[in-house]
Amino acid sequence: MSSPAETAVFLKTVRLFKEFDPPELLAFASRLRERALKKGQVLFREGDGGQEMFVVREGTALISKAVTGRVEKVLGREGSGDFFGEMSLFDRAPRSATVQAETDVELLVLDRDNLNLLIEVNPRAAAAFFHALVHVFIDRLRASGNLVAEVTRWGLEATGLDVESR
Amino acid sequence: MTGAPSPRRAKIELLVRGDDAESFEVREVSSAAAWLQLRPTRVPEDAWELAEVTSRVGRQQNFVLKNTRTDRFLMLSEPERFLWDRMDGRTSLQDLATAYVLEYGAFDFDLIPALIRKLQRAELLTLTPASALRRVLARNRRRWLLQMAERALTSLERINVSSRRVQPFFERLYRWGGFLLFTRAAVLLGLLLGVVGLVAGVRLWPEADDIARGLGANPVKAILVVKVFFFVTVALHQIVHGLALVHYGRRVREFGFTFLHGFVPTFYVDVTDIFMVSRRARIVTALSGTLVHLVLGALWFVLAARLPGGFAQAFCATSGMIQWQAFVIALYPFCFIEMDGYHVLVDLLGLPTLKSDALAYVGSLFRAAPVVPWGREAGLWIGYVAVSAVSVAAFVAFNVWVIVHATT
Repeated sequence: MSSPAETAVFLKTVRLFKEFDPPELLAFASRLRERALKKGQVLFREGDGGQEMFVVREGTALISKAVTGRVEKVLGREGSGDFFGEMSLFDRAPRSATVQAETDVELLVLDRDNLNLLIEVNPRAAAAFFHALVHVFIDRLRASGNLVAEVTRWGLEATGLDVESR
Repeated sequence: MTGAPSPRRAKIELLVRGDDAESFEVREVSSAAAWLQLRPTRVPEDAWELAEVTSRVGRQQNFVLKNTRTDRFLMLSEPERFLWDRMDGRTSLQDLATAYVLEYGAFDFDLIPALIRKLQRAELLTLTPASALRRVLARNRRRWLLQMAERALTSLERINVSSRRVQPFFERLYRWGGFLLFTRAAVLLGLLLGVVGLVAGVRLWPEADDIARGLGANPVKAILVVKVFFFVTVALHQIVHGLALVHYGRRVREFGFTFLHGFVPTFYVDVTDIFMVSRRARIVTALSGTLVHLVLGALWFVLAARLPGGFAQAFCATSGMIQWQAFVIALYPFCFIEMDGYHVLVDLLGLPTLKSDALAYVGSLFRAAPVVPWGREAGLWIGYVAVSAVSVAAFVAFNVWVIVHATT
């Protein structure tokens, strides 16, 4: 179990909280919960409900989406300082992918109540948080586009489909 | 071969779950590995025909492979036929390559990909929807209107009234007089009728406006009646193709009615057996059906010239014009449609996939990336596309002119 001060030091390295002042970080860190996963443990599955986002403090979490049967497409790996799960936090929709620990993982958990509290008591910090979040979303959108292109290229190569000469 | 490095083969990362809830394995699968595991699948047995032909050059053994649903042909070498025989959906490309090496003792690494591309272009492998229209519809299934259109086309495509036991019918028809169509006298008579019909048509031309008025107050309904009559003669066209097969001692495998691509109602006859015999037989078979329209058009014109002004004369003249238009369209090879004249042309040129190859080549020129160096074939491809484009534009312009002229 880490102290709020230790958590605040870690959060300062996380992109989402770069613009937070030390007092803001300390206050915010005290509201986060911690959660540990053993290697292979599933945090949540695609389709589950959820109202929390997670920041990886240590280890690697694997994000995957069901394709067919027991096969899933690996969408990405989140390591120390990365975060995930924010989509359900905002849109209240079921989880869009499965998250599973690839190694032993330590997470920090931010739920909707604490996010609302941040917005109410510290609008400046909340604005910095959302600003950073938008930048991360942009990066992820670009990565998704690249992934679509790569998977399409894979499909064309794997099937030998000749689309250029049609 | 060029010195340019090949692009990196794409990889995807897959998570494969174990029997219990939490065990899993992450596997990186390259497209090359998937390609080797691909199991190419031929279209159903009743959708293709294969015939052996001997090339005039070097007496090589070749095979003509035909997609009987799209009337597309491919020329296959003996090794390609060996591979085609094994594309049963159960044999992977890796197994195909192994079988090839065992059979021939050597391997050409471009052979299998090139064959698969060729088969895909001819829609002989079941990887893509049948037509460009269907591919567009399949891509846009979320739009309800296009989804409805796709469903409608699929339903119409399923409508197929046909019989595979038609050989006795065609043989009887041939014995009871059909054989006369393939005599020198019939050819001369047909040509003579064509000349007489042309004379009658030329004589009618100055009175075209008066004749058109004979269609009465409801020209649209009159034209529909003319079209229905014409549609019946399409069946006659196909029957004569079938008689030609019998004339050359071949078998008519099927005769029927269907909706081509889901929206073009048409009769059809399976004449693929003709590829087992000579080029002359193939050309006669292709031309014989077309000549039906020449003869019928001439008869309509002669009849129109003898009738007094009124609906009957207008009906005959219009029918004659449509028959001759069908004659020209069926015989004219440069219109991007693979009809009788096109089949004669590709047979004469020895380029069974002329249209698809020509469109692919010209497309590559527009992308400034020609895939084949300049040569005889490239010249023929450019010529085919250029003449066809001009012909289609001229045809559209002519019909627009006719419609404008008739309605003003």
